Amino acid sequence: MAEIENASREQILARIRTALRQPAPRHESVQRKTIFAPVADALDRFQKECAINITECVVTPNLGASAAGVKDVLASIPPGDIFVQDSPELRRLAEKWPEGCSIQWSNEGAPKESSQATITACDALVAQTGSVLVSTACGGRGASVVAPVHIVVATIDQLMPDLDAALARVQERGIVSQNSLLCLITGSSRTADIEKILVMGAHGPRRLIVFLSLA
Amino acid sequence: MSTASREFLRRAAEKSADLTHRETLRRVVDNCNTSMESGRTRFADWEAARQRCHEIKWEALNNLDRYLLEFEQRVKERGGIVFWAENSAEACRYVTDLATSRSVHKVVKSKSMVAEEIHLGPALEKVGIEDIETDLGEFIVQLRNEPPYHIVAPAMHLTRKDIAALFKEKLGDVDTDDPQELVAAARRALRRAFFSAEMGITGANFLVADAGMIALTTNEGNDRLCTSIPRIHVAIAGIEKVIPRLQDLALFWPVLATAGTGQPITCYNTLIGGPRQENELDGPEEFHVVLLDNGRSELLADAEQRDVLHCIRCGACLNACPVFRTVGGHTYGTTYQGPIGSVLTPHLRGLNEFQHLSYASSLCGACTDVCPVKIDLHHHLLENRRDAVRSADRPFTERVGFQIWRWTMQSARRFELLGWLARAAMRVAHGMRLEGTPLDPLGPWSKNHASPVGPKKSFRALWGRANGGN
Repeated sequence: MAEIENASREQILARIRTALRQPAPRHESVQRKTIFAPVADALDRFQKECAINITECVVTPNLGASAAGVKDVLASIPPGDIFVQDSPELRRLAEKWPEGCSIQWSNEGAPKESSQATITACDALVAQTGSVLVSTACGGRGASVVAPVHIVVATIDQLMPDLDAALARVQERGIVSQNSLLCLITGSSRTADIEKILVMGAHGPRRLIVFLSLA
Repeated sequence: MSTASREFLRRAAEKSADLTHRETLRRVVDNCNTSMESGRTRFADWEAARQRCHEIKWEALNNLDRYLLEFEQRVKERGGIVFWAENSAEACRYVTDLATSRSVHKVVKSKSMVAEEIHLGPALEKVGIEDIETDLGEFIVQLRNEPPYHIVAPAMHLTRKDIAALFKEKLGDVDTDDPQELVAAARRALRRAFFSAEMGITGANFLVADAGMIALTTNEGNDRLCTSIPRIHVAIAGIEKVIPRLQDLALFWPVLATAGTGQPITCYNTLIGGPRQENELDGPEEFHVVLLDNGRSELLADAEQRDVLHCIRCGACLNACPVFRTVGGHTYGTTYQGPIGSVLTPHLRGLNEFQHLSYASSLCGACTDVCPVKIDLHHHLLENRRDAVRSADRPFTERVGFQIWRWTMQSARRFELLGWLARAAMRVAHGMRLEGTPLDPLGPWSKNHASPVGPKKSFRALWGRANGGN
């Protein structure tokens, strides 16, 4: 793309530099205190936070059990397209899913508006807030937001105690530099714009289900 | 008195007398404040969090050029385009030119106060582009042709009955006041918009320098759809939104959520650093970031008030403010309402026209106490008053009045003389029933308040007699 003309850039930068010649006062720094209490038991905390933010968290002994759990969810929702992140693990798990369901793999294109559910992996789970961290590698941008149900298949090694650790993990592993979008998802889409009354499923999923396997 | 000031007074009188409006506002704001208070208990030390937020923002603003350039460099590396805009006109022109050159007919917008600030909606409509707000609250006020009422809760002033009537008229396919059904109706209408729009426009809660990403926060997920489906994504952000490191969000995300709504964290915290990359499955072909100055670099030059630029637009000071709670958001007639709006607007739109906002405060300091980034809001209101007296137009009577007051206060004899005169005048005015009439020098006050009758003797005289003439 051709370089656009932008004379204001230099003018704004020059004004900023002139402005900063005069130092601004700052509040006295106090002894560094603990801002958040450290998370002692990550799994316990994750489950508790999920209950608060209305994420359905299912802890399973292994991925096989997670696959069976996903199958039950698929059987309970209206028939329609199921969009699945194309990864070797999810391909393996898909062998257990019902014959009749029409699976659209992510390498076949973006999820359709009519999709009934999406199934993805994640980059990290955060115990402190009961959140799921995904990137475009998890089935693309639409995967975690277009369908009314989002199912996440995760493993215990992805569970980070807090936001600090989760952000450090995705930065160190190059996930930040390799993906144009990351999203920390905490519960399903909601709004309280009408009289502060909580309503689920404003734009994105009405249900967020995390299958967390211990092995 | 400026037009804006006259309008403010007119609306304030009207709204504070509207008891139904006040009741709606009181209920919602109380609810926000209760949630926020319980939200803060999730922090081991909320004060330490505020202090740390202040330090991070201080570091960002006092090295603003460096962090903005780092952000720009990273965005460019991923194939995004960064445009720097001096003012509203330049920012709007960039977006409308881009939209017309890419044959855009429909734009979906995720809640953006900066887009409101530059009046982007009307600018798009002027060139024939349909512009649809996708945050539910914004969608509602857009259907009513109203500006947002509150930075965080744009439709705070409306009851479900108001919204039901509006949707029945404008959307047609819904006739109920059940919030669940109303949200479902908006979802249906907006889904059609998401899948037919060619451009998505968002603001940015933060510009993360080391990652070269914008950070967006929503509960509804409308930001996700705006930035996933249309083929062009434009983000508009004030230059002050920068933070140094991705790691800083481990603090700012929970703080913003807690101060804004009392939640531990908002549902969707999204980071976007570019258009769809080669190895990616979907996403927009183009990603543009418009960095807006619009008076911010001048405010940066005011070292005393530089920390006003630390604001993360959580809306907590609005909810805490007794003036906001009484007059409501629309009375301000500004993009940013409440204490932060009263401090900021004179810097963005002129001290002379907006100096009256500095007086729309009881100086109780509740805003300063509640601010998660520790902006000294009520002292900044005082500083704006001082600057207004120095540089802007003040009424002739006020200037003469204060000159007389100063002259009087410099001598005990003059003080006694003027005190006697004032007491006598008060008694005469009372005797002639002049209180509250145009002839009453204290008219603006006594119009709405019962005045005490001026005493015959001064405090000094009474004190002197009681203490044996000392």
